[in-house]
Amino acid sequence: MIYSEAKFLPAGDRFVLIEFGDEMNLELNFMAQGLARAIAEQKTKGVVETAPCFASLLVHYDPDLISFKELQAEIAALIRALGPSDDIVLDSRLFYLPTMYCDPWTRACVEDYCNKITKKETDPELIARVNGLVDVDQLVRLHSGTEYWVAALGFWPGLPFMMALDPRCVLTAPKYNPPRTWTPEGTIGLGGASSSIYPVATPGGYQIFARTPVPIWDLGKRFPVFHDSIVLFRAGDRIKFVPIDKEEFEFIEAQVKEGTYVYNVVEYQKFSARNYKAWVSSLDRSKRF
Amino acid sequence: MIEVIKPGLETSVQDYPGRIGFWAQGFPPSGPMDNWSFRLANLLVGNSTDAAGLECQLVGPTLKFQAATVVAICGADMKPTLDGMPVRMWESIAVDADQTLALGFATLGARAYIAVSGGIDTPRLLGSRSTFNKAGVGGMEGHALKAGQDIPVGIRKGTVGRKVKPEARPTFATDKVWVVEVVRGPNDDWIDEAGHQRFLSSDWKLSSKSDRTGFRLEGPRWTFTSKATNKAPEHGSEPSNIIDQGYPVGAINLAGQTPIILVNDGPSMGGFVNPYTVPSAAFWKLGQAKPGEILRFRSVSVEDAQELRRRIDGICGESSIN
Repeated sequence: MIYSEAKFLPAGDRFVLIEFGDEMNLELNFMAQGLARAIAEQKTKGVVETAPCFASLLVHYDPDLISFKELQAEIAALIRALGPSDDIVLDSRLFYLPTMYCDPWTRACVEDYCNKITKKETDPELIARVNGLVDVDQLVRLHSGTEYWVAALGFWPGLPFMMALDPRCVLTAPKYNPPRTWTPEGTIGLGGASSSIYPVATPGGYQIFARTPVPIWDLGKRFPVFHDSIVLFRAGDRIKFVPIDKEEFEFIEAQVKEGTYVYNVVEYQKFSARNYKAWVSSLDRSKRF
Repeated sequence: MIEVIKPGLETSVQDYPGRIGFWAQGFPPSGPMDNWSFRLANLLVGNSTDAAGLECQLVGPTLKFQAATVVAICGADMKPTLDGMPVRMWESIAVDADQTLALGFATLGARAYIAVSGGIDTPRLLGSRSTFNKAGVGGMEGHALKAGQDIPVGIRKGTVGRKVKPEARPTFATDKVWVVEVVRGPNDDWIDEAGHQRFLSSDWKLSSKSDRTGFRLEGPRWTFTSKATNKAPEHGSEPSNIIDQGYPVGAINLAGQTPIILVNDGPSMGGFVNPYTVPSAAFWKLGQAKPGEILRFRSVSVEDAQELRRRIDGICGESSIN
């Protein structure tokens, strides 16, 4: 549900978690991102930084500059001034990300998990089954048939938590239990209703079915796109996965190695919650691609 | 330059308050876990409290100095020696060129801090020299020290014989029991009253599977309210699962039945509840507790936690040195 009033949950001496609701709903993330932007624009006294998540905003503050009660009053006033979430308009870049679906590397990773940890249904087949899809090809059509919304970054530097913007393409999946001990770098996964990209080889719990050769963080800043930030994405960006085959994967991988790869980013657009909601309400959700 | 002869168990470059302002990108603050001892060490050698120093964990390093300088060691007692002769802690000492400083096993406390006049001068990444070992960020080539490395040092003239007043030093537990402050929330309403009682009245053993990302605790089972057991499926299947949310540094993060305190290199978000948060003023205790030792938790208000923080910040100043 969406709360009628945001909840201020104290989190130690220097953090407060502001919760807008308790469901997976893009609207709640728009509210979190809208508030994050409002705090940045107002330069609210004592706020060190904010971090939006799906349904909440974490605020890090300096208790020497503002008390918890004062901060709560300041932010509550900002939330009131924000008005209905329909009015939220956010800068939103669009990234085209070449992606090989049902690639050999994530297959090998799942096989390794089955051999060493526990037997499980292979991930693309599992996702197709639990979402009532015809086959794995339809999983590819749905996952690459929508823009993904970057709701938050976290858990690992640069790791995006994304939600499908087209409701006809929403997929869900259970998480691994127990988690995987490793995941190939650049793997794309799905857990709950959230999709993600693994910036480096790490353990993980999402079902995995695709891989991108394109780095999403770059400590060495080898590519111009990392000039201002060593992580590729920020909350409010959109990502479109573009299916490629193994030959193209290897071609791009070689370009990345040489440092000649050109990131495909569209930078002029804004995301309007009102326009988006109007579009969603015009869709026939029973018809999937 | 300082040459690393033996790196110790996990010796890393850290600065205070660390890499701040990048939580929304998933970068943890890192920085010294016991920033009380760390700041005092810097003050002793004439640095500002934000200069980079070395954090030594459980077993300290052996370091050969290429130039004369002034050094101070605070925090855990690792029986430091200079060319084999014991040297005083909590006091600035002279080190000559080619002398070797060696720290051994921590006998009291878990982390010792070495400050050098001028500070460690490795490159800054995102405004900080702190090491985030797990992701290869900051410090010496992204990781803990390795044998054979040369650590760059800044230039500043320190004064020998400056001491931390005894009353300004943190008091380490000699009975292996640490009373650690906690603040209720953000997700305290997921735990039932019996669960809260049990958390606050039990001994929690610090697991050996702990590192700078998380301190795992061993203790009794948790019990939950209906908020945890009767919820929409998108929260996840375990009672402690919640829709992914931002984690405060210090969160007591309940992964299934195992509480993990998310410390300086911890994750910024995830799908487990945080019924309590360890405030910044209690972090020095976490930094000095050894695996196998006992943590007991004492619930304090947000305001009390902030007052404790002010008190420690007040101690970490020139007035504590003579």
